[in-house]
Amino acid sequence: MKGETVMAAAEKPTKEKLLSTLDDIEVLSRELIEMLALSRTQKLPQPGEDTQILELLVQRDKEFQELMQTAVVQGRVNQEMQTLEKEVEKRDTDIQQLQKQLKEAEHILATAVYQAKEKLKSIEKARKGSISSEEIIKYAHRISASNAVCAPLNWIPGDPRRPYPTDLEMRSGMLGHMSNMSTNGVNGHLPGDALAAGRLPDVLTPQYPWPSTDVSMGILPPHHGNDFGLEPPGHNKENEDDVEAMSTDSSSSSSDSD
Amino acid sequence: MTPHFVRAIIMAAAVSVVDEEDYSFLPIIHDIIKCMDKDSPDVHQELNKLKTKIQEAREQISAMPGIDMSPALQDNKLRTLREQVRTKNQLLQKYKSLCMFDIPKPS
Repeated sequence: MKGETVMAAAEKPTKEKLLSTLDDIEVLSRELIEMLALSRTQKLPQPGEDTQILELLVQRDKEFQELMQTAVVQGRVNQEMQTLEKEVEKRDTDIQQLQKQLKEAEHILATAVYQAKEKLKSIEKARKGSISSEEIIKYAHRISASNAVCAPLNWIPGDPRRPYPTDLEMRSGMLGHMSNMSTNGVNGHLPGDALAAGRLPDVLTPQYPWPSTDVSMGILPPHHGNDFGLEPPGHNKENEDDVEAMSTDSSSSSSDSD
Repeated sequence: MTPHFVRAIIMAAAVSVVDEEDYSFLPIIHDIIKCMDKDSPDVHQELNKLKTKIQEAREQISAMPGIDMSPALQDNKLRTLREQVRTKNQLLQKYKSLCMFDIPKPS
């Protein structure tokens, strides 16, 4: 097959052969006519030369006709080749279009797979660090019970209560007591030394104490009775119990809840 | 004009096939020789006809498509093109008939 291609490539093109043959015909016909014209005027003997030229001319003419027939056939083949080339072009366009669509689909699928993998990773991560919903709800209760996220319903401007322990409340708490233990005794205090002891004087004791609970100290979750509007004014036994629990119980809430 | 000349030319001219189009120059050459033989004043006209026919043949050859290569080379190219078309058709058919996923419609 390769040999045939090489030989085919080595063969002269039909156009070249045709033009060459035509040139030969022109030259030979001119020579013949000139020879005949000379022989008429000069009557010189031309042994065999005239026959030779004529034979050549006839041969070239025959070649030319055969080559022209070949050229006509080649013209028809060329038309078929042009049709096939157009078809090849169309197929190429179709293939390119298909390739583009496949590329697009691959991109979409790759993105979807990546996102799915990321989601699975998040799910796995969440599963590893899962927290009991009960615990979360318990903490939410505690946080909200201390009125740290919303003022009590009966709060009005001027109310000394705050959603955080105030300075006086801190002093009147356990830390404040611990620092004043040596001067004021363990439990009590002289009335006149209330401020020095870091505690609010009775006259300034808030009517509606803001419960200073510490979540990390692991107290029991407050009852719903402690929520807004239901808490009686002043210190109550329940709050004192909570304080007692806060001071004594240092375990984490999760162990209580479970 | 020797008789054998004329006879040879006539015979050669008779051999040329005149199916679709006559590409032979022998009839014109025969006419030129006849005119020369008769000392006819038409000899120049015939000579011009020959010249014109040769020139027209040149122009026709230059304009003919597909003869810039040999017949063998052209056949090779034709075979290659046919093979290309067949291969590409097969490829397209193969990819278009791949199994498709049934995408569930959202309810």
